[in-house]
Amino acid sequence: MRIPVQINESSAEPLYHQIETQLRSLIVTGQIVEGTLLPSIREFSADLKCSVITIRRVYQDLENEGLLRTRQGTGTFVTKVDTDDREAYKKQIVLDAVRELVDTAKSVGYTVDELRQVIDETLSKE
Amino acid sequence: MDNVALEWRQVVKKRDRMTLGPIDLKLHENLVTALIGRNGSGKSTLMKLAVQLIHPDSGEVAWFGQTYSAESLPVDVRAQISYVPENFIVEEDGLKMDEVAEFRASWYPKWDWQRYEELIHRFDIPSGKKLNKLSKGQRRKFEIAAALAIRPKLLLLDEPSSGLDPFAWKTMMNEIRRCVDEDGTTVLLSTHIVEEVRRMADYLVLIDKGHSLGMVEKDFLLERGREIWITRDDELLGEMPAVVESAIESQGMVRFITMDYPGAAALLEEAGVKPIQVRALELDEMMEHWMNGAVLEAH
Repeated sequence: MRIPVQINESSAEPLYHQIETQLRSLIVTGQIVEGTLLPSIREFSADLKCSVITIRRVYQDLENEGLLRTRQGTGTFVTKVDTDDREAYKKQIVLDAVRELVDTAKSVGYTVDELRQVIDETLSKE
Repeated sequence: MDNVALEWRQVVKKRDRMTLGPIDLKLHENLVTALIGRNGSGKSTLMKLAVQLIHPDSGEVAWFGQTYSAESLPVDVRAQISYVPENFIVEEDGLKMDEVAEFRASWYPKWDWQRYEELIHRFDIPSGKKLNKLSKGQRRKFEIAAALAIRPKLLLLDEPSSGLDPFAWKTMMNEIRRCVDEDGTTVLLSTHIVEEVRRMADYLVLIDKGHSLGMVEKDFLLERGREIWITRDDELLGEMPAVVESAIESQGMVRFITMDYPGAAALLEEAGVKPIQVRALELDEMMEHWMNGAVLEAH
């Protein structure tokens, strides 16, 4: 299985964190369903051209969060995600995107009103 | 993961053109370490010490935690180690592939015929030929197949990709990966090929003029080096950590290369400066700066 994770090299976020965030999002939003067997640590690291140490950390963290479970000899599986988590997570993704939008607007010197206007225009085209 | 498969302790070895060491180095089990550095820096010497083709002048080598300073490696330990040298042994030149395989099978108790046949097939090596009738690339493919067929616990590869076509190269990397994944093998490979390091290595060791400049996690290295363009601000630039290069690109714009991107990014954020552009350095650029003395703090 090839997992659709994309590393953004211009981000200051550490690699493990980028991979972890994207994998968590794929699991919580249900794009990778419960029971899915994930690639081995070595396979996944080869796909992303990063080290196994990074992937090991990602799997470990998500296992601690209860999203993954490793069974000796068989591999790492996706466990069940509850609905509350899913909703909270969706909100978090949108919040993060809004944060990014606000920062970008600030950096080019947009006022609150100008930003609001752009958002309204964009929404009206939806 | 913290078991050490191979360790060089204060090893010194005098060679014709250079002296290796004193060097301290540890290979952790089930990981892939790439040995990088210029020609003649001592990479091959380091590997030959690990299979006792040569012995240290001082210091010692430990295999799976054991030293055998005064004696040769016990057969059962040696049988767990595969070594693919840069140049092959001429004594085997006149022998046929299958004869060499038979001979090795008798030495290595874990020799796996099925694996061997599978690899010979996968590498597409013509069977029944004498070793000196194989092309350089075919010979290397044979040696790699034979090295993996013993199901080694420790695999040492000295520039394994030289002479390989791109397809064989990819097969080789996949097979080595499989070996690490399935058998828990520890790998040390010397290479000049950046893509090989990118795709295979977990750790990098830089050897320069017989000395080790340290061992770093590959991803640590990849996360550090960035080329950044910002609106000109000399004061801010002066505060940037680990800058190895900077230039004024136009009246209002400056470009710099930092080896501490997390540190630089934190400073930029604090100053409220959004970079115009950020480019991740390629691994070879990082290695060059590392070789030229850029300090990489241990993490």
